[in-house]
This record gives sequence, C-alpha cells and structure tokens, in this order.
Amino acid sequence: MRVSLFVTCFNDTLFPQTGRAVVRLLERLGCEVDFPLEQTCCGQMHMNSGYAREATALVRRFARVFEGAEAVVCPSASCAGMLRHQLGTDADPPTPPVYELSELIVDRLGVEDVGAYFPHRVTFHPTCHSLRELGVGDRPLRLLEAVRGIELVQLPQADECCGFGGTFAVKNAEVSSAMVADKVRAVLDTGAEVVCAADNSCLMQIGGALSRQRTGVRTLHLAEVLAS
Amino acid sequence: MSFPDAASVALRDSQLRRNLAKATGTIRAKRASVVGELPDWQELRSAGRALKDRSLVDLDAQLELLEERVSAAGGQVHWANEADEACSIVAGVARAHGVDEVVKVKSIATDEIKLNEALAAAGVQAVETDLAELIIQLGDDVQSHILVPAIHKNRAEIRDLFARSLDLPDLSDEPEALAEAARVHLRRKFLSARMGVSGANFAVAETGTVCVFESEGNGRMCTTLPEVLVTVMGVEKLVRSWQDMEVFLQLLPRSSTGERMNPYTSFWTGVRPGDGPQEFHLVLLDNGRTGVLADQVGRQALRCIRCSACLNVCPVYSRVGGHAYESVYPGPIGAILTPQLHGMSEGRSLPYASSLCGACYEVCPVEIDIPRVLVHLRGRVVDTEPAWKPEKAAMRAMYRAFASRRSFERAQRAARLGSRPLARRGRIPRLPWPLSGWTETRDLPEPPAETFRDWWRRERGEGRARDEKPVDGEIGGKRGPRDLGAAATPDAAAAPRATSQNGDARRAMLGRIRQALADRPAPVEVPREYRRRSERSRPEIVDLFAERAGEYRATVRRAAPQELRQALTELCRHRGARRLTVPADLPPQWRPDGVELVPDTGLLPNDLDTLDGALTGCALAIAETGTIVLDGGFAQGRRALTLVPDYHLCVVSEDSIADLVPEAVERLEAAVAEGRPLTFISGPSATSDIELNRVEGVHGPRTLHVVIAG
Repeated sequence: MRVSLFVTCFNDTLFPQTGRAVVRLLERLGCEVDFPLEQTCCGQMHMNSGYAREATALVRRFARVFEGAEAVVCPSASCAGMLRHQLGTDADPPTPPVYELSELIVDRLGVEDVGAYFPHRVTFHPTCHSLRELGVGDRPLRLLEAVRGIELVQLPQADECCGFGGTFAVKNAEVSSAMVADKVRAVLDTGAEVVCAADNSCLMQIGGALSRQRTGVRTLHLAEVLAS
Repeated sequence: MSFPDAASVALRDSQLRRNLAKATGTIRAKRASVVGELPDWQELRSAGRALKDRSLVDLDAQLELLEERVSAAGGQVHWANEADEACSIVAGVARAHGVDEVVKVKSIATDEIKLNEALAAAGVQAVETDLAELIIQLGDDVQSHILVPAIHKNRAEIRDLFARSLDLPDLSDEPEALAEAARVHLRRKFLSARMGVSGANFAVAETGTVCVFESEGNGRMCTTLPEVLVTVMGVEKLVRSWQDMEVFLQLLPRSSTGERMNPYTSFWTGVRPGDGPQEFHLVLLDNGRTGVLADQVGRQALRCIRCSACLNVCPVYSRVGGHAYESVYPGPIGAILTPQLHGMSEGRSLPYASSLCGACYEVCPVEIDIPRVLVHLRGRVVDTEPAWKPEKAAMRAMYRAFASRRSFERAQRAARLGSRPLARRGRIPRLPWPLSGWTETRDLPEPPAETFRDWWRRERGEGRARDEKPVDGEIGGKRGPRDLGAAATPDAAAAPRATSQNGDARRAMLGRIRQALADRPAPVEVPREYRRRSERSRPEIVDLFAERAGEYRATVRRAAPQELRQALTELCRHRGARRLTVPADLPPQWRPDGVELVPDTGLLPNDLDTLDGALTGCALAIAETGTIVLDGGFAQGRRALTLVPDYHLCVVSEDSIADLVPEAVERLEAAVAEGRPLTFISGPSATSDIELNRVEGVHGPRTLHVVIAG
C-alpha cells in the first residue's frame, strides 16, 4: 500500500524523530511511504484562533498537495481531526482519505502487533482529539498492548485534557498550567518512565511541565514506541 | 475583567478549588451512572436536538401559537424586548395586586434581567426560595453554577451565613440542620405569599403548558400557593408538542442532577379554576436571543436546556468556577451564550476560555457543538479587532509562511536560529512576552538542527517525492482570501430594538425573529429511535417501580385489594399520622382505621399546615424512574394537598404503572389537553445544595409512602 505522509508543520520543525519513526514503522509493515515536500500546515492553528478564511485556504492547499493520494497518514490526532472535518465539507478538489496513525495501522493495514520491542513502564494519554473528535477508541492501546516487553500502566483520569489547546496554553496560561499540573500528578502516580500519546502538541505541554519539574519522566510519540 | 485575569483570582483561592473539584467530580460520576444505564441515550440526544431545532426554525409561528393557547386557558401573555421591559411588566403586576413581597423559584432568566434589583427599586422584595439561591441572596453573593449556584460554598461557610442572617447562633453545620433552618424560615413566606415568580424549563406551544423542574418543593410552593403567578421565560424555551416532553423528561434530570428523575416537576396550563393561582402571566423574553438566532452557527446555543452538564465536565470550569465568567451563564455554555446575547461587546475573552477539548459537546443532551461555536465566535472577535493587534500580525505572518514551501522552509530556519540564544541544553526555559506565559511553568523543546524534511531529503532525495505541481500562488495576497467561507454574522447589538408598549414589543420581536430566520433553515425531521414501548413483563414493571421508588427513600408497600385498608392503617400508625387531608372523592375502601380524615373543601395553606399529612391516589406511575404522577383527576384533589402537609401517603394502582417515560407521557396527553395541571413526584423533596449532600425533605413532604394496590 502506498501511504502519503502528512507529518504536520509542528512535527516537521520540532519533532522530526516522530516523522522518521512513522516512515520506519510503515515501511516495516510493507507500505511504500512518500512525503510530498510541498506540504506545510493543515490550518488548525488559524482555524482554532478564529482565522477561518486563512484556515480554509490552507485546507484547500493541503487537498491539492495530496490530491490523488491513496491514503494520507498523519501522526497528530488534532491535525487529522481538523482535516477530516474541514475536508468533509469541501469536495473540490476530491478529498484524500486522512488517517490518524493508529487508524491506518489497525483499520487499513489490519495489524495490531507491529513487532515492536519496548521494555519500559509506559502510561498512555489518549488526547482529547483522538478520543472525542476522531473517535479512535482503544486502537492505540491495542497496538501498545501487543508491544513486547512493555509494561502498560493505566493513567488516572486519562480522558481529561492536558491543558494545551493551542493558543489557549498562552492566552490562558494560568488555567492551562493548573490543568497540566493535575496531569503531571496523574502521570507521576503511575510510576511510569514514559508518557506516550498520539499527538506531540499534548506531549509538548505534558513534557514541558515534566521537564521543568525535573521529574526524569520522558515523553514519546506513539509512533516512536511502535517503531522501536 | 478579562477571563484570564478573573481566572487568576479564582485559581489562587485554594478553598474554592477544593470545593469545586469535589462538587464537579461528584455530579460527573452521578451523571455518568444514570446516563450509562439507558441503552438509548444517544437516540434521545439526537431527538432532543431535533426537537429544539424544530421549534427554533419556526419560532415566530410557535410563539404565536403558545400565546393563543395560554390566553385561551385564562393566562395573560406579555412580550418583552429586553430586560427593563420584562422587569417593569413583573413590577406592574405586583403593583396591581398591592404586594410588597414575592416568592421566587430559582430562575436564571430572572437573574439575567436583574429582576430582584428592579423589583426592589419598585418597593417589592423578591424572596429567593431555592436553598442555594437563598444562600446567595443572604450572602449578597453571585451564583457560580447553573444548577448548584452556591457550589463554591462549603458547609462551614453556609453555617456562618445562616447563623448571622437568620439569627440562629447555635446552628450546626450538618446539611440536615441547615436545610431545616431554611425550611422554617421560608415556610412562613410561602404560606402567606400572594404572588409567585418563576422561570420555565419548557413551554409547550400546542397546549400552552409551562413547566418547572426542581427538587426542593419550593417551585411547587411558588407556582401553587399564591393567588397570582408570573413566569418569565426566554423565547427559546419553546417546544412544539406535549409529546416532546417524553424526551426532555429523560434528558434533563439525568444530565443535570444526575438523577433518573428530579423529585418534582410541575406542569400547568393557564389558570385552573379552584386549583393554584387564579391569575397567571407569562412574560416572553427576547433580551438578545433573536440576535443569537440570526447567527447560523451560533444559533444552536439556543437549544440549551440549562442542565449544566457541560460545566461539570469542563476542565476549565472545574478549576476556576463560575465567577470568572462574570455572567449568569458560566462554563462552556456561558462562553458561547454571554458574548452572543450581549452583542460581542461583552465577554470578548470568553470564546478563548476553552482548550477545545470537546468534553462539553460529548455530554450535551441537545448536541450543541460548543467547540465549533467557540471557534466561530473567535472569528467574530477577530473580525472586529483592529489590524495592528500583535496577534493579528503574527497570524498573518504565519499564514504567509504556510502559503508556500519556500516561505515555510525559510520560517523553519528562522525559528531554529531565533531560538538558539534562548536554549539551555536542548530546552528553552524562558520566552519573552507574549509567550512568557508558557515558560512560567513549562519548558519548551529547542528546535532540532535537522527538520524532518531535511532528513527526508538527505535520506531519500527530492526525487522520491511524488510529481508535484507547485501550489504556491493559489492562495491570495497578503491578508489571505477574504471571500472564502465568509458568512454574514449580524451582531445582536446592531439589531434594532424597540422599547415601547406591549403590542409594539410583540410586533418588534416577531419581526426580528423573521429577520433572523431569513436564511430559511430547512424544516427539521425528528428521529424517534429511542425506546417508546416497554419490553418488560407486567410483574417486572411493578417490581422495577417498587425498587426505583424505594431508591429515592420513598417507603413502598404492596397490598392485594382486600389488604389495602389494612396496609394504609399500618402505615398511618407507623408514621403517627392522626389527621389526614383527603380529596373529596376518596374511595371508601381506602379509608384507614383510627385516622381522622379531613376532606378538602378549599382548605387554606395555613389549615393544611396543621394536618399530619395527605392521602391521595395518582394518575399513573413510571417504573423506570420510580415516579408517581398526579393530574388532579380521580382521588387526587388540588395540588396544595400533597404539598403543604409534611407527609404524603399515595395509593398507586398496579395497572396504572407505565414502564417508560414515553408511555406515561402518551397516557397523560388527554389530561394536558384538558388543561389539568400535572405534578411528577419522585421520592420526597430533597436538596443537594450543601456540598452536594442529599438531604431529604425541604419544602415538600419529607416523607412519602407508596402503596401499590394489586
């Protein structure tokens, strides 16, 4: 299967290791991966900040860049959610099918055991957009459960927001900090070495607080655990 | 104050944060449990959404129908363009009756229009009778939650307040004692009140029926005992038909208090001769609602049934509480209602008071897509903001960066270079304003030397990329294509407002509604895929009713026909009830031995208050919710009978028990069409206003005994 990677502007610039892990993982599962270099941003930041016209233009740009793609994979649940909703209402040009990583692996490739080995204590933060916008359900957990050597521990109040929310984290910095403080406490309660999620924006928020508090707990994108 | 500043104050109050976390956590768990037990919750939500939409797209005609039906049933309908008009209508009624005190049921619409202050200015004191509202009123405080307005107060704080203002220095801080203090204080007011004021949860256009959902019995007191009743309702409270209530009677209590059914729901249609207020006024309030209706995305906020489920699940609300929203509508729903109602001039920071996590949308019983409306309103803020604002400039710059591959790669290089001086060992610990808020509590990762695309090119070369046509230049100039997705979003404040006599208000409101619906939204189909016919056997239904009524701490007994009298006698003896009021048509075989029965011949509230209880039948019962319903029919009498005395003994005939709410609503249709008032009773009166501890018995009967007659 030929898969086009939409790595997202955020991962491209700040978390390139996630993109590399997606490529390694999908090629290991027999996919042919391509990366259209024309890609930039899905428009989520503009959309969520109230700049709908700019966002719509960026969505159209995305659709043109990925026109004719068999499947687009996106290692960010919030960008995938944004695209699925905005593309859904715009049929010109024809919309390429966009999958969040776990959706592509479980639903399109029909795989749950990706052959990974990760001998660490891991807790999983499901992220709001994975759960409530995309409805990925337990797909990421099923993938993680099949990883050899992993010790998965349940995160308390897992479905509660980490407090990132894009510009919310800056505009309402104090509320956002109060939210991530509770998330960090929940993470530390699990005794995990690694917090895993399917979105690096949430992980930047949780990881930023974990780092500031010198907790020694690492954050890793789902793709990086699965590609190990 | 902007939301971030107000939130900052709230976040520093650790007592408030503890109270809030406990309270919101408790209601969330209760809601999840009663919603989880319904197999058709999602179908009910879809129906609820459609039913509200159906009346909104046809609001002008439906309001006219409501007016006609209420008038035909002996009520008087008033139209109010805005707050001041509504207040002067209520004050005018008070003046006409020469009253200087009115009893009030908790109503957000009346808080919105600041009715209490307006009445005080007219020399009329409004007495809040809901326990939480009383706490707010006595403490000269502000509500912080739609359902539990005093959620920010704990029992010790409430004790101190009551001890001071009700002159009860020895009061304990047990919730039971606090509720008892309120009961005693308010009972005097209820028994002598001549005028009641309420809001409305719903109004049914086709029958002219208005209703109030409540727990404590203060709503029944205010809408039943006074001679005159004034109800103020926002125009969006309308539903079309009585049948619609089969959905909302399930959605609202479960979403709101997390109960299968709230203790009391009262329905009334105009004036009922000999039962309840003999004068009824209904005030239809606009106050910005037609402006909301005109916004094609924002109008879904008018579906809101004020359940407050979105508050309790919101990670922002549950940390900062209601005061930070500086509106009678707090939480996520407030963040989309307040700016819309007040024309975007107020509450401009509210649409940003959300991380867009979507928890509110997930629980909303009428499927209001709050995140979508928040984003839409952010757009309305942006549209009215000057171009020089730093954020606008930044967003333009980012947009330009994303508009082509070349500019994007240039921006990536700039980000890397720009962050280098700020980074310490791979982390950025401090950023300049306006990004400094991030680094107060969080590090930022330093952008790595090699971007993903650099790696791809190094590993795979440019050639592996698909044949690409450059797409640059397809996006418009510097400011972006302004024509894309542009939708007219009229501002409520800009809409013309008439402030004149009532006929003019009526014309003006209907005119604005028609103008708001100029886009001619399509008629709405209502999906009714929820359960409407029971699949349980008769014995299962009776068992379920007994179990569920019992869970509300109603005492339930079963009796075969020949044992009925014996059962009633035993229950009265056990209770110590010696004098009971009964409806005039009580069947002779229901007369317990050794009890003096006082037939209701128009007893006054003070007379009823001296009796030990009331013995009645009921119209039907509902198994799934453990509810009994009285409709003033056979062996039931007036509403006051089962309200004022402290004990209610009710005979439920086994074959009158319906399993599901829709089955009961169907059977009650004839009674509603005849204009008979209905009272839904689920257990004894109760309050959860003190730290969400349930206390049985506030204003209604504190003990309910049910005998199921086989």
